[in-house]
Amino acid sequence: MKKASIRKASKLITVFVLAVAILLSVPVTVSAGGTDSYVTGDDNYRLPVPESYIVTSTINNIGDYEDDTIYFKNPLDLFVDDNDYVYVVDSGNNRIVKMNSDYETVNIFYGEDCGGFKAPEGIFVDSDGDMYLADTGNSRIVHMDPDGNFVEQFTNPESDSVDTGTSFAPSKLVVSQTGYIYVVRGENIMAIDGNGEFRGYYGQTDIGYDLVEVLTRLFASEEQQKAITKRTASAYINVTLGDDGMIYATSMERTEGEIKRLNSIGTNTYRKYTTVGNTINNPITEFIEDVFESTVAANTFKFGEYFDDNGEFMEPIFADICVDSDGIVTVIERQTGHVYQYDQDGRMLVAFGGLGEKEGTFSLPAAIDVDSDGNLLILDRSNANIQVFSPTEFIQLVHQATSAYNDGDYEGSYDLWTQVLAIDENYTLAHTGIAKSYYKQEEYQLSMEESKIVDDRDTYTLAFDEWKMEVMRAHFVEIIVIALLIIVAFCFVVSFLSRKSKQVYWDFINDRKPKMSISDGLFYGYYTMLHPVNALQGISYRKQKLNMAVPFIVAAAAFAVRVAYLYIVHFPLASIELEDVNLALEAVKLFIVPVSWIPAAFMATSISGGETKVKEITFASLITLVPFIVINLPLMFLSHILSKTQDGWYGVFGAAVVVLIFIELFVGMMEMNNYTFRKTILMMLTTAFLMLVLWLVILLCYILTGRVVQFVAALISEFRLNFL
Amino acid sequence: MVKQFLKSHLGSIVAFAIVAIFVVWGYFSIQAAKSNAVTYSTEYEAPEGNVDSEDEGSYELVAQTDSLALYYNAAKGAIQVENLASGYLWKSICDDEVYELEGLNSQWAAYLQSPICISYNDLEKRDAGVKKLYGALNCNYLETEYIENGVSVTYGFLTPGIYVTIEYTLEDDQLVVRMPVDKIVEETKYALTTVELMPYFGASANEDADGNAIDGYLFYPDGSGAITTYANSGSRPSNVKVAYYYTYTNKTVSFDNLYDEDTYNRYTASMPVYGIKNGDNALFAMATEGEANTGVVVYASGYVVDLNHAGFELYTRNVYVVDMYSMSSSDSTTATGATVQRVDTNLIDEDKEVRYSFLSGDDADYSGMAATYREYLQETGQLTSVSLEAADMTLALTLLMGTTKEGMIMDEYITMTTFEQVEEILTRLKDAGVLNTETVLRAWQADYDDYEYWGPASSLGGKSGLKSLNEFVEENSSNSLYLESSFLMASSKTSGISETSDVAYDGINLEISMETFDGTNYYLLNPLKAFRRNQMLLKKLESYESYGVAYEDVGRYAYADFNVNATYTKGETVTQLQELLQATVDEERSVAVNGSNQYVLAAADYLYNLREDAYGLNVTDYAVPFVEMVVSGLIPYSTEGAGNLSYDLQTQKLKWIEYGAMPYFYLTYESALNLRDTSYDSVFSSTFDDWEETVVETYLEFAENLSCVWGRQMIDHAILSDDLIKVTYDNGTVIYINYTDEAESVDGVQVEANSYTVVEGGE
Repeated sequence: MKKASIRKASKLITVFVLAVAILLSVPVTVSAGGTDSYVTGDDNYRLPVPESYIVTSTINNIGDYEDDTIYFKNPLDLFVDDNDYVYVVDSGNNRIVKMNSDYETVNIFYGEDCGGFKAPEGIFVDSDGDMYLADTGNSRIVHMDPDGNFVEQFTNPESDSVDTGTSFAPSKLVVSQTGYIYVVRGENIMAIDGNGEFRGYYGQTDIGYDLVEVLTRLFASEEQQKAITKRTASAYINVTLGDDGMIYATSMERTEGEIKRLNSIGTNTYRKYTTVGNTINNPITEFIEDVFESTVAANTFKFGEYFDDNGEFMEPIFADICVDSDGIVTVIERQTGHVYQYDQDGRMLVAFGGLGEKEGTFSLPAAIDVDSDGNLLILDRSNANIQVFSPTEFIQLVHQATSAYNDGDYEGSYDLWTQVLAIDENYTLAHTGIAKSYYKQEEYQLSMEESKIVDDRDTYTLAFDEWKMEVMRAHFVEIIVIALLIIVAFCFVVSFLSRKSKQVYWDFINDRKPKMSISDGLFYGYYTMLHPVNALQGISYRKQKLNMAVPFIVAAAAFAVRVAYLYIVHFPLASIELEDVNLALEAVKLFIVPVSWIPAAFMATSISGGETKVKEITFASLITLVPFIVINLPLMFLSHILSKTQDGWYGVFGAAVVVLIFIELFVGMMEMNNYTFRKTILMMLTTAFLMLVLWLVILLCYILTGRVVQFVAALISEFRLNFL
Repeated sequence: MVKQFLKSHLGSIVAFAIVAIFVVWGYFSIQAAKSNAVTYSTEYEAPEGNVDSEDEGSYELVAQTDSLALYYNAAKGAIQVENLASGYLWKSICDDEVYELEGLNSQWAAYLQSPICISYNDLEKRDAGVKKLYGALNCNYLETEYIENGVSVTYGFLTPGIYVTIEYTLEDDQLVVRMPVDKIVEETKYALTTVELMPYFGASANEDADGNAIDGYLFYPDGSGAITTYANSGSRPSNVKVAYYYTYTNKTVSFDNLYDEDTYNRYTASMPVYGIKNGDNALFAMATEGEANTGVVVYASGYVVDLNHAGFELYTRNVYVVDMYSMSSSDSTTATGATVQRVDTNLIDEDKEVRYSFLSGDDADYSGMAATYREYLQETGQLTSVSLEAADMTLALTLLMGTTKEGMIMDEYITMTTFEQVEEILTRLKDAGVLNTETVLRAWQADYDDYEYWGPASSLGGKSGLKSLNEFVEENSSNSLYLESSFLMASSKTSGISETSDVAYDGINLEISMETFDGTNYYLLNPLKAFRRNQMLLKKLESYESYGVAYEDVGRYAYADFNVNATYTKGETVTQLQELLQATVDEERSVAVNGSNQYVLAAADYLYNLREDAYGLNVTDYAVPFVEMVVSGLIPYSTEGAGNLSYDLQTQKLKWIEYGAMPYFYLTYESALNLRDTSYDSVFSSTFDDWEETVVETYLEFAENLSCVWGRQMIDHAILSDDLIKVTYDNGTVIYINYTDEAESVDGVQVEANSYTVVEGGE
């Protein structure tokens, strides 16, 4: 199986879960409607901001020009050249309309001297005013001089080494300063030189290494291999040329990011998607996160939004992209009509627009470009018009501030961000910007405060690390003394726990006490962590004497520790915002393995000569949460001297928890049933399989119940409609 | 024995019993439905038609007053009105002089020549859609009766068997058109749902017969008022759309429709009016009876025909369209299934009346229309003047008191402004020279997010805080404080609400509600319940004498309620809401109303959040302050744009001045940063400490420059060019407002860029 079908399978499950959600009928309230401006942070939450762009004019038709058809028909592309002339590819009328900066038509080109255009889709105009038109229907790129006279044409280039395909349907293109034509071609951008020669594919995404694919290639039969199509990178949608000479592109590529800034060798230098590690990280929680994509993925940055105005999951398609002289990127999303603007580092400045009937909304946006005054021209294919959005003072300030910072003018950007905050106290990037300026000015504590307001963990981490060093330098001796004291106390506690738990263990084994008290049970759990073999043997040896309150207390304590952890953990290391925490989901993530282990392990062992009963399995399975408690309890306090820089080895603790839990389960399986090592592995696999089956059954029941509920509800409402 | 049998067959017995109960229930339901069902006479035989479509007929004078003459064409059932002052003839249907009828398809030709059109539904076949008939095509029976000052015409649509009688009479300077409900006759199962009244009355092309451009526009109740000019028709898109406006609230009432600001603004007309200006003559129409069930339809030139026209639709029944597919899948986006129409069995029992005024010369514009409407409302007691105690510039404030933020385990109450801090804010403003304020206290209740109307939040100071603030206001009478409450909405968490008997139902007998993620249901309330809730609030407020009440939704929503316990037509709801407000007035408490639905104007002491813009359809050329001109000088008002939430305060100031509104700020005492992740996140900047200086400066600027027009009537508003506005007040003061980035000179007055100039009049 290849990656794509894996995605499909997991998507199928997603669809299932979504279906369940829909069955249970959860209409979403979206408070922000229409064209209000907003920004979303990394948590998908729409935060309103002041109006950033207002429509200053709408070009509904070309006016009177030599008796030509005045309305556009299916216009597909728009280009604003260096002198602010506007070119509209009026595809349905097979013409190019050229307008001046007052949006009066100055020329119309039909390409009479080269046989006319046929359904052209894209245009690029260079600094001399020469036009390069993707004459899609004629499978060629036409080069014209500023007056529309034919200069040359480019058809499908040929190459000896690379298959350039047979059909050539150029749509979106740019021409670089070197004279190369870069035209979007599926998953590539194809480069053609001035002589019409093929110059290679450019900007192909690294599709990466995929274990599943490798495995399938190893084991699949020849026929199966044939059925698996070659894994390809996702298609490019549109390109534009930045003033910095970089090619900016939008694509359907969703691992690295849909928006790319490609340098001369085709490497993406724009912001890329990264995921923030979760502290309870195992394949199962990852699976859950995959399923609940829209809720849990909240912590990862995405371009655009992965949900529509009704809160339904969707994947954005950025129809067009434009870049202004400062490197500020604006894209238009086709399905929701939202316009998203990003700064030079890919941070969202503002989102606005949307679908609708009113000014400032769209029906089917097709193209966007920016003129030298920063006005955005957006072409709507269905409404056959162009709306001109002018920046308000607010967004102009934001642009100036972000550009000043980008140019290294930190004080200037500080002043500008302060002005932005005078208009919008809540503007996230302004707080980040100020935090960064503070950082550059070595005002670390102020920087930390400022970045904490807007949950900017990266800036906080920078400032915190510096501040930590400062404090260390200033109070070196005291810190060493305190640290030593803490370490001594810690060692003392650890050794006490070890001694005490050892004693409890031997008391239990030797049956010195009439009954296992709760505290003894907890110490026993601790001992299990240290000496799983002995302790787990002990459990099956003295199973009558187990206090069954203990595992549940451990479970409750583990949950309490998780909740406390969420509250206490140091801000930059928190994986999820407090208000986004869903307690039920946290509980599921914590308990799904130990709890579903119980029936699965019981089923597996009872059919293959196991000796354990539900009681011991429950005990053994739930006390595996002791390592979780023991590690997380000090960790949440320790985290306060750590920051995101130490994210990596901080994650080691999370991994340690998983490893310890696994060891305990494994040893438990082996020792409590007197299995051999081989048999244990087999039984572990069986149990895992049974767990999977169990979840599927639960999911199925859930879905079916939902169906029944929905059916009854529909029946009742039909009755009400008909007879009441 | 029996016991054993029961034991062994318990399962099947229970199953059988359940099925039996369903069957019995179903049977009785069907019986009940049958007995309720209306039976239609099948004996109806259409009488002989008496209309000869070839007969052009002729117009004869049937009534005349000092200013108007009414002509009637008995062959076509159409009228014409002559404005005697200007000699302009207003035609109710198009003839060849108005528009070249040849070349149009028969349906459109008929539409252009129809004095009325009707729509009807089949009461028995519910999946049959609505059908529309055109007077000129389908009305084959006409009966004319000459009545005092006019004519009464019965239009008979013989095929469905529907007869509608329209009375056209002249009353001084108005044409009064009435549709008495008792004269509507329906002979068969076809039920009349809509009458489109004179859709082409005053219709005009962009150019006159000689090809000269006509200086004219359509005026319609979009937002604060909007116009579509004939001159701009050349720059319209190829797909001109029809604009519909439904009086007071969107026609189809659903929670989403009301709650979603965008949809609400798209379809809601706060005043049932429209107007047509053709050169030096203008027509202004206002629905004056049964207006709650009317709508305005506006066709800009380019929609099939190059004619600008507008008209009233009179709704005689509520129609609910139910998507059967979406009912069973709850996913309306993929709905492709059948729809059924649920139509009221009986006609809405109210007469309809529309009054047309004919303006000429300088009055022939939307300012003249506003004056006409204002005069009519005043004469009929529907608009009363608030005596302004202090003649000083007033500052409008909304203070957000608190809200709740979702937490991991428990929701957290966020205090934004305590009662004590309200006092501090008002004192600080007063010390800085702010003489008068109108302050709305928002979300002062402990559970305002659940639409509780009472119970000051303890974190804000509780009852004692409310009390001491009360004393402060008593001592400082220049500060009016309004406690804002919602009465038409509730959630399942609201106390004292029955989720079945107190909520509003739509025509298909479902609660008008919305469910959110966390399972909370939100409801629209039955108008009677709303009234009672208001009574209870008034009782609770007895010991806090100085507070007024601010109504968050009473001035915005009016809807029909099919709750069996207390059924309301939309018109009855309007009356109930008027009584609700009157009860507050009777307690000598001030009334502040959010929104400007016409029925609140008699009771309101202060209007806030008036629109200062139109929705922004592609046919709309300009927004105009029609609503504001109707109430200016009578009721103080503020508009929806808050200075602190504007992207540019200077632009916002100009807007306030253009609309004659007082300066308005939406503030909190605590930092606005606390409002992140709450339902008030749109208040992104509101901290009083940060804004104090700006607020005072703005107020003082207004007090200095605009006191001369404070409390005066705006009598004229003119758009000189796209961004240059001239407003005139009744004392002769003229204000020029320049939104452009360049200084402009107009009427010999210099207006700086992004600024305004006041030219005081000599009175």
